Amino acid sequence: MTDEPDDEGTDDEWYGDADPRVPDATAWPDRDLGFLGSDYDGKAAARSDISGPVHSELEDEAVLRELERRVEQQRTPAFPLDLRVHLPLEGLWKRWRALAMWGRSDVVDDFGRDPRATARWEWLFEFLYTRWFRVQAVGVENIPAKGRALLVANHAGTLPYDSAMVMHAVRRDHPSRRDVRPLVEDTVFHLPFLGPIMNRIGGVRADPANAERLLEKDELVAVFPEGEKGMGKLWKDRYRLQRFGRGGFIKLALRTRAPIIPVAVVGAEEAAPMLGKVTWFAKNIGIPWIPVTPTFPWFGPAGLLPLPSKWYVQFGEPIDLAAQHGPEAADDRLLVNKLADQIRTQIQTMIDGLLGRRRSPLLAAFLG
Amino acid sequence: MTGACTYLGGELLRRLEEDARYSRVLALDIRPPATAGKKIEFIKLDLTQPTVDSELATILERHKVDTFVHGAFLSHPTHAAEWAHELEDVGTMHVLNACAGVEPRRLVMISTTLVYGAHPKNPNFLTEESELRGHRDSRFVNDKVRAERQVQRFAAEHPEVEVCILRFAPIVGPTISNMYTRFFRRPVAPVMMGHDPLMQFVHEQDAAFALLKAVESHATGAFNIVGKGVLPYTTVLALLGRVPVPMPQLVARQVSKLLWATQLVGSPPSFLDFLLYLCVADGGKAKRELGFAPRLSIKRTILDFGGIGPEDGATDVARAQA
Repeated sequence: MTDEPDDEGTDDEWYGDADPRVPDATAWPDRDLGFLGSDYDGKAAARSDISGPVHSELEDEAVLRELERRVEQQRTPAFPLDLRVHLPLEGLWKRWRALAMWGRSDVVDDFGRDPRATARWEWLFEFLYTRWFRVQAVGVENIPAKGRALLVANHAGTLPYDSAMVMHAVRRDHPSRRDVRPLVEDTVFHLPFLGPIMNRIGGVRADPANAERLLEKDELVAVFPEGEKGMGKLWKDRYRLQRFGRGGFIKLALRTRAPIIPVAVVGAEEAAPMLGKVTWFAKNIGIPWIPVTPTFPWFGPAGLLPLPSKWYVQFGEPIDLAAQHGPEAADDRLLVNKLADQIRTQIQTMIDGLLGRRRSPLLAAFLG
Repeated sequence: MTGACTYLGGELLRRLEEDARYSRVLALDIRPPATAGKKIEFIKLDLTQPTVDSELATILERHKVDTFVHGAFLSHPTHAAEWAHELEDVGTMHVLNACAGVEPRRLVMISTTLVYGAHPKNPNFLTEESELRGHRDSRFVNDKVRAERQVQRFAAEHPEVEVCILRFAPIVGPTISNMYTRFFRRPVAPVMMGHDPLMQFVHEQDAAFALLKAVESHATGAFNIVGKGVLPYTTVLALLGRVPVPMPQLVARQVSKLLWATQLVGSPPSFLDFLLYLCVADGGKAKRELGFAPRLSIKRTILDFGGIGPEDGATDVARAQA
């Protein structure tokens, strides 16, 4: 240390000259330094003041370190074995926190959508959309750039790939890249692992109160009024729309004055053609049935992967129910059922149109 | 007020002591509260005694009580279920008996959002109108539901008394101790495998502020007192740096039963449902009618509870007060 050349006396300039009235700091008898050995008790320190150089810098550092250690001890509780000093637990804990927060954000919206988790699964949706299903979406411009709207779509397939594709189509191809909040049936929403993932990427449990709250916040909400019945359609019933629930989506649209946008999805039926369903044992594991597809029980979980069918998604013209009916019409059961059936017929027509566009019934389902 | 030794009770006493508008505060509990003051008068009262209602009526009569705060509720489940029932359900009956005779101007009751119960059919935001479903096999929750039903019946029978019920979301914070804080202070926490419900908390300072607001205002009815925002359960654990232990439901229930029976943990097996399903309430009504809006977001609440400050190490509350 002493070999190093002195700086240009900057330190002296900075500190200025010593004040003659203040007694020299080193002259204080330091009774607290006994721990450094007999040479450093008060007397020794006092003696060294008189005779020659005080301490070497190395010894100074030792004193400083010991004082720091004591201050630290004052602050932390005195365990018999101070784990925090001897084990790097604090560091480990910090690393663990950073690791645990990986892939999730510390802020989610009111309904549980996590922006970071959404971004994390984005590549998968993009892959499914462009490469696997080769989705052709038409009429995305029918969705308003802002303000509430209710997307009403048909439903098919063992897993809700269709809601994911509708969501991705709007986020990808709509000029204002709007986020769609699909309403998810209870049976899917409470599935282990899948349910929370769907919730993190924007799915909301299908509940009238949830949908109303979302629409009041001017969000885009996608409903699949066929619900469980739509997902449980057999291959022989493909593209035949099932009953549209109890018309809850019509009441919703009337109450919140939201326009309805009919959506037809073609291709989802072929992605997971359901040949049959087994209800035996299904209730025990909390699902309504065990689907039988050409791949599913035979290839294990890998059988849940969809077949690469060619998809078409068509967004229809917005239907403004509020223009013709007031909010009180939601209580008119006959009217609600009639309107629900009208929408259903319209979506069925759109589906039939899309099906007619395909060249041959089966091969085209995959080649497009 | 009853339950003067609880966290909320102590905070309310402290705030009322500093407030010049209140001339006298009666603290009723079985032991003297930690907060002392010139206005605070402690009266020993045990709500589990059979004739405590007439004793309480005498006190209310003598001191001409204007506002009565009923907060004698347990903050964590106990194995002494009989005693808990006597205190919460029957104790509320005694309080209402006394109030029916004396009729104070205002009655404020402290409740929790747990009374809605965690059910798979719960909407994302429960409103005050939602049914109080209580919770299967949970005496801790169901005693509170029964107490609250009694208070609602009392409110219907005595329209001249302003009855206000505050349903607090789980209160967490650096100083309060309840079932949730004990649960989250453990280094490991059970996770129901494959389930991750959204959770909601309210910071202890926000909760105390809300209670003061409720005492001051004239609003009647039930109010959800909740914090800002929600977070998934596993994110809460990650923020706190706790180690999640994923367990299949069957295993988790058996383990929980064993730990509860051996008194090793403070949360009963029925609490596991709150790790499975949503129980999140909407605080809009409290904002509109009570004028209470929480200051701290859920993330800050969690970090403050865990003692995890930002870089400078100061917690949010310390900074807010500075």
